[in-house]
Order: sequence, then C-alpha cells, then structure tokens
Amino acid sequence: MNNRRTKWHYLLVLLLLSIMNSVYADSQPEIVFEKFWIVAAPDVARSTAGYGVIKNKGDVADTLINIRCDMAMIMLHKTEITSGMAKMIHQSNSVIEAHSELLLEPMSFHLMFMDITPANFSEGKQITVKFEFETSGVSEVNMTVKANNY
Amino acid sequence: MLKKLVILLFISLLSVQISHAEGDELPLFSGIGGSFSAVDADGKAVEFSDFEGQVVVLSFGYTNCADICPFTLGYLARLYSKLTEEEQTKVQIIFVTIDPEYDTPGHLKQFIGHFNSDFVGLSGSKEQIDYIVSLFQAKYQKLSVLNTVPTKNIRRVTPKLFSDESDEEDKASLYSHSVTLYLIDKSGFTRSLEYTGTPVDEFVSKIRGLINE
Ligand SMILES: [Cu+2]
Repeated sequence: MNNRRTKWHYLLVLLLLSIMNSVYADSQPEIVFEKFWIVAAPDVARSTAGYGVIKNKGDVADTLINIRCDMAMIMLHKTEITSGMAKMIHQSNSVIEAHSELLLEPMSFHLMFMDITPANFSEGKQITVKFEFETSGVSEVNMTVKANNY
Repeated sequence: MLKKLVILLFISLLSVQISHAEGDELPLFSGIGGSFSAVDADGKAVEFSDFEGQVVVLSFGYTNCADICPFTLGYLARLYSKLTEEEQTKVQIIFVTIDPEYDTPGHLKQFIGHFNSDFVGLSGSKEQIDYIVSLFQAKYQKLSVLNTVPTKNIRRVTPKLFSDESDEEDKASLYSHSVTLYLIDKSGFTRSLEYTGTPVDEFVSKIRGLINE
C-alpha cells in the first residue's frame, strides 16, 4: 500500500516535470555570445573583421535581423572560396537553429567593420556591437581589438 | 655479423629516404607565372627578375579586404618566422595588389609593414596589374554596388576645385580575387600552388627544398 503510493507520487512528479519542461521549451531561444574579438587594423585599412561564436542554447530557433555599431558600418559577411576565388557575401537574416551555433572565423563568417577610423580599431580598444534577434531582441556585446596572431 | 646487418639495414633505410625525397620533388607549372614589371612600396619600378636567386611566395589581394588578406598575410608572417634568419634572406614574400587605384605604394608599405616589413608589396598601373594577374592565371572582380562603401570620411583626397565634382561619390570597393599562394623557385618558375590552409610545416619544408636546389 505504502509502496504503491510512493510510485504514484513518483509518476505525478514526472508528469509535472514534463509539462513544465514543454511549457518552457516552447517559450524562448537563448542566445549566447562567446569569444568575440576584432582584428587590429593596419593604419591604412578602411575595414576589419570580428570573430567569435553565437550560440543558441534554447529550444527554439531565432533570427539575427540587424547588427549595429557606433564606430563603423557593420555587416555579417561570409567568405566563400570557389575555384580558387575568394568572395565576400553579405548575409542577411541568419537563422540560428535551436541548440546550434554560428561560428565566425577567418575565411568564413565574419563581422565586417567598414568605413572605420583605424585609430579606433587599434590594439586594446573596446568596441560595442549590438545584435538584434527577432525573438530575443537586442544584445550588446563588448569586443576587444587584438593583434592578428590568429 | 650483427654489425654488418645493422649497417646494411642503415644503408637500405637511407636509400629509401633518398628515393622518397626524389618523389617529393616539386613539378614545374608551365604557363603559370613569368616576368613582369611593377612598382614597389617605395614607388620604384621593379622587374620580377630582380628577385631571381630567391625563392618567392607570391599572392594577390587588396588592403581593404578585411577577412582573407589580413589572415593570409598573418599566415605568411607565421610561415616566414619558421625560417632561420639565413633562410629568410633567400626568400621573398610578395603581395600584389589588385586594387592599384586605392593601394598606392605608400599605402601598401604601411599595410604590409603591419605584418612583416621584409615583405614586398607590389602595385603599378592597372595595365601592369592586369598583366601580372593574367600571367598567373589569376582572377579578380569588383563586387556589386551593394557591397561598396562610401569612404568620403576616410580617404583624404585633395579638395576638388569644381563644386560639381565634389558631389562625386568616393567609393572603397570590395573585390573577389584568387587566393592561391604561388611558390616560385630561384629561376622564376612556379613550382607549387598553395593555400592559406596548407599546414605551415609542410609549406616550410617545400620552401627549404627550393632554397637547397
Ligand atoms: Cu567581409
């Protein structure tokens, strides 16, 4: 009798947990920014790149709809190499699926800072970038400008 | 007896080693490369033959390229640092701009100096550049207007005299371009086509092979 009741309790807790879980699961993507940095620009450069990882730890996909930076014109680019030719392609509305990530690295996806004043993008400087996601809204990410040791 | 065996084994190993080295000898790419003239970062006219006797790694790019060119030059700087000082005197890393209009010699010098001041930046007239590009069977193309950026605030142009001309939009272009790294021997022949992804040690040993030829 006593044993049976414990079993029922156990099942009830499990049921509650799974309901709670599904409620939360449907609610939110969870966007996390990791390891972002910007390449220190040579004095004469008018553009430079930023790299890092954007993770979606949530159960729902989210879309990157806008990127802004007070210090430069900024875009998400992707370098694609086809038959020995490198081409930069502007990416708009990038979807980051649930439990996946967008890796920004050299010769692939990168934040492209254009129309820059090189002095603002010298080693040690901090740059704030605002990422706007469709569901998650705007996140501010601070990035340090580092020497290009790759 | 054992001693003899060891010696024999040693000799056979040695011969395997030698034949292996012969198998690794780099082929000759006919039709890729050749002599050309350009302008160096000090504004002086140069001939490709000026580099004869040195092993050359030649690449194409432009300074406004934020991702791949700085990455490639960083990679080449890493590669170069793996060579001994003596080897470095026998190697020349050359970066040829495909945007000579913006990449003036002085501009190139500063850009290259950011990576390694030993590197040579080459510019020239558009005709000169186009000829070099065709010699190496390379390509470049200006990207669409959508990708171009006004640089009014950055490029310090001398003020124009006519007011109607000052409206002219000053654009910094983005290009797609060949990313091959041409490994050229001391006689000016292209011997290997590499990429920024080539493992540094592998690339260094190919350069050493050509230095010792
Ligand atoms: Cu880009």
